Amino acid sequence: MDYDKLLNIAAELGCQLMSCGAEIYRVEESMGRLLRAYDLASAEVFAIPNCIIVSLTTPEGHPITRMRRVAGHGTDIQRLERYNDLCRDLCARVPPLEEAQALLGAAEETPRYAPWQVLLGYGVAPAFFAPLFGGGVRDAASAFIAGLGVGVCLLYGGRFLGSNSFLRTVICSAVASLLSLLLVRLGLGRSVDIVTIGVLMVLVPGVALTNAMREIMAGDVFSGLSRTADAILVASAIALGSAAGLAIGRFF
Amino acid sequence: METILYDYALPCLCAFLACVGFTLVFNIHGVGKLICGVGGALGWLVYLLAGSTIFAAFLAAAAIGTFSEVMSRVRRCPVTGYVLVALLPLVPGGGIYYAMSYCVAGDNQRFLDTLLHTFGVAAALAVGAMLASSLFRTVYAHLRPAVRRKPPQA
Repeated sequence: MDYDKLLNIAAELGCQLMSCGAEIYRVEESMGRLLRAYDLASAEVFAIPNCIIVSLTTPEGHPITRMRRVAGHGTDIQRLERYNDLCRDLCARVPPLEEAQALLGAAEETPRYAPWQVLLGYGVAPAFFAPLFGGGVRDAASAFIAGLGVGVCLLYGGRFLGSNSFLRTVICSAVASLLSLLLVRLGLGRSVDIVTIGVLMVLVPGVALTNAMREIMAGDVFSGLSRTADAILVASAIALGSAAGLAIGRFF
Repeated sequence: METILYDYALPCLCAFLACVGFTLVFNIHGVGKLICGVGGALGWLVYLLAGSTIFAAFLAAAAIGTFSEVMSRVRRCPVTGYVLVALLPLVPGGGIYYAMSYCVAGDNQRFLDTLLHTFGVAAALAVGAMLASSLFRTVYAHLRPAVRRKPPQA
């Protein structure tokens, strides 16, 4: 068997799982199971949020290791489910490596929502969060519009905002509070606080918090702490951004 | 009757729809959307019934954790997406915002109060979901051999 190829397949699977938001234990366990399915009981896998190291010893006693850096982290549940199913399938059938490679390549094409649908999601979520925090119909309408504004920033602003997630969150929450202030001044919304909170809910570090706690639960304390730090950082970015937005708004 | 409608049914419907909105952002398709929405509504209902305190957030997170684990077993899918979306309405976004505005206004006492409350809610959510999930997995691992004892299919 071509062990280099197997190593590459395992590393690619782990990398894809990580980049669509899988927990560390899922990445490590999927790769470990895949390698064990191909009769490599001695395989070792180690992953932290942006790095995967996988090492195995061929039956001839030759050790090989591969390291992959995982650049971007998103949350794409459809792809996550797809790769999870693929891993389960590969472990159950143990197909030839060429077929496994082809299946792995084919899994990349998962259905995705069109940009306007994602944008709609960014609008609908704040619109229904506003009533949860005590807003009325008019607050919901303002939150919908401001949410669309933040969605546009997140979807199309990446080129201008760069890859720094702290700065991106600061700017998006500033946009959120500015838009809410504007809409309330125009007479559509009633309460700046409620509309802003509704919109900020799309930026809130719920994902980072949930992931952090799942890592710690699985025993990956190191990754858990790094994600907790991420959650705290995002929360302070939100506070900073919305304060800046309100401060700018007060001038007009 | 009217209080049930306005105090419980409408907020839960809002939580449901907000979570469905979020599934568009996280690229969740099909039945998963419905599961996330129901999880969010369930969490919010428990939160309201338990009195909207930090302990209520803990109970709500535990309910969401259990519900999501059950659903992921039923659909044989990763549990990640369900927990992620269903917990979002409970995340203390309001706390972050009010803490910020008290801080900017220089009201230190209320700033610290709100900040501590926000940390409390976040910790309660994390511990609640964590505990429910871990307990569920422990119990399920004991139940599973009994479920799997049927003859394997070819």
